[in-house]
Amino acid sequence: MAQIVFAAGAPHAPAIVGLFDKAPDESRKVVTDTYAAITNELRAAKPDVVIAFANDHLSNSRITFYPDFLIGTAAEHTGPHEWFQEWIGCRDYTAKGNPAVAKSLFAGMTRRGVRMTVREENLKFDDNISVPVTMTNLDKTDITLVPVLQNCTVPPFPDAGRCFEVGHALRDFIEKDLPGNMRVALFGSGGLSHEPGGAKYYKIDEDFDRRFLELCVGGDHKALLKEITVERMEEAGTGGTAEVLSWFPVMAAIGECKGRSFGYTGWPSFRCGIGGVIWDLKTKQ
Amino acid sequence: MAWEKFNPNLAAHDLVQDMKWNPEIRKEFKQNEKAVLDRYPLLLEERKAIEERDFRKLYDLGMHPYLGGQLSRFIWGNDAGKGAVEASNKLVASLQGHTRDIPKS
Repeated sequence: MAQIVFAAGAPHAPAIVGLFDKAPDESRKVVTDTYAAITNELRAAKPDVVIAFANDHLSNSRITFYPDFLIGTAAEHTGPHEWFQEWIGCRDYTAKGNPAVAKSLFAGMTRRGVRMTVREENLKFDDNISVPVTMTNLDKTDITLVPVLQNCTVPPFPDAGRCFEVGHALRDFIEKDLPGNMRVALFGSGGLSHEPGGAKYYKIDEDFDRRFLELCVGGDHKALLKEITVERMEEAGTGGTAEVLSWFPVMAAIGECKGRSFGYTGWPSFRCGIGGVIWDLKTKQ
Repeated sequence: MAWEKFNPNLAAHDLVQDMKWNPEIRKEFKQNEKAVLDRYPLLLEERKAIEERDFRKLYDLGMHPYLGGQLSRFIWGNDAGKGAVEASNKLVASLQGHTRDIPKS
């Protein structure tokens, strides 16, 4: 049986790269501590593949024809896409893909009642994949990447309950369909509170963010689903905060585990609340 | 913004997507915005709102704010430290109906 050996969630706000040098020390520390822990623990877990759920910011499909889960099946994933380079301010990268796992995921989820879509050509990556890949230097390891770009912003998008169903199907897929000795890492990329392009572009909902992180760390899924509804996400920043839904398939797949977070910052110029979680898979209740 | 106004049929969405995916269109938009806008079936008031940089109006017509934010970056700047900050300041000022700069923190 293939094993889930690592699971984490973290934001990918471009400003944690582009405005990092201008940020106050305590905000820089949160970014550094969070991504250092993810980088070190991901490597230590020795995964063969990381399946990364990351929201698509309308970068790959027209708004009139918008997939809920788009799997990248390419052999290599290069980014960031041209227009996003100066905006993020990150370096170029080419991460190793895993077409076999990506295609197996597509077939496996389809058989389990989850509509996903695939694209063979290099997806257009913005901050969603580019920030975590370059912050962890994933492209400089042998770990392969299967990106799953999730719709968290074009309504109606899959809600928290649906994302949990997707995560349960994902777990079943990993246990039954992947090769027996395979080691799998799961990563949710997105959030925390922000309202990209909206009137509250500079507002961060610290109460939401801190409570969300607390619930993720606590590992009580019933409490999480009760409080962190799409309605509450939208209240904390329309069109952006719901990116935290990319963490939900990960949490559902690993079951109720305790997690650790590495601080929180709501520095306004990041235009996004920042904090991440790594779940301790051995502490499943 | 609430989603009840969202209108996925607006041609402005395709305009932003095409500029994002094609540097030639971005260049042309800078040099001859009218020629680019002429190629899209924009509603009269949708076009007027783009020309007047009236993002409040665009959102009231149903534009998706994420693509609105990107439109502001085609107009005012896209680089991390400077242009994109100016773009978001002007976008927010338009949405909030004033012309002041938004404080940085």
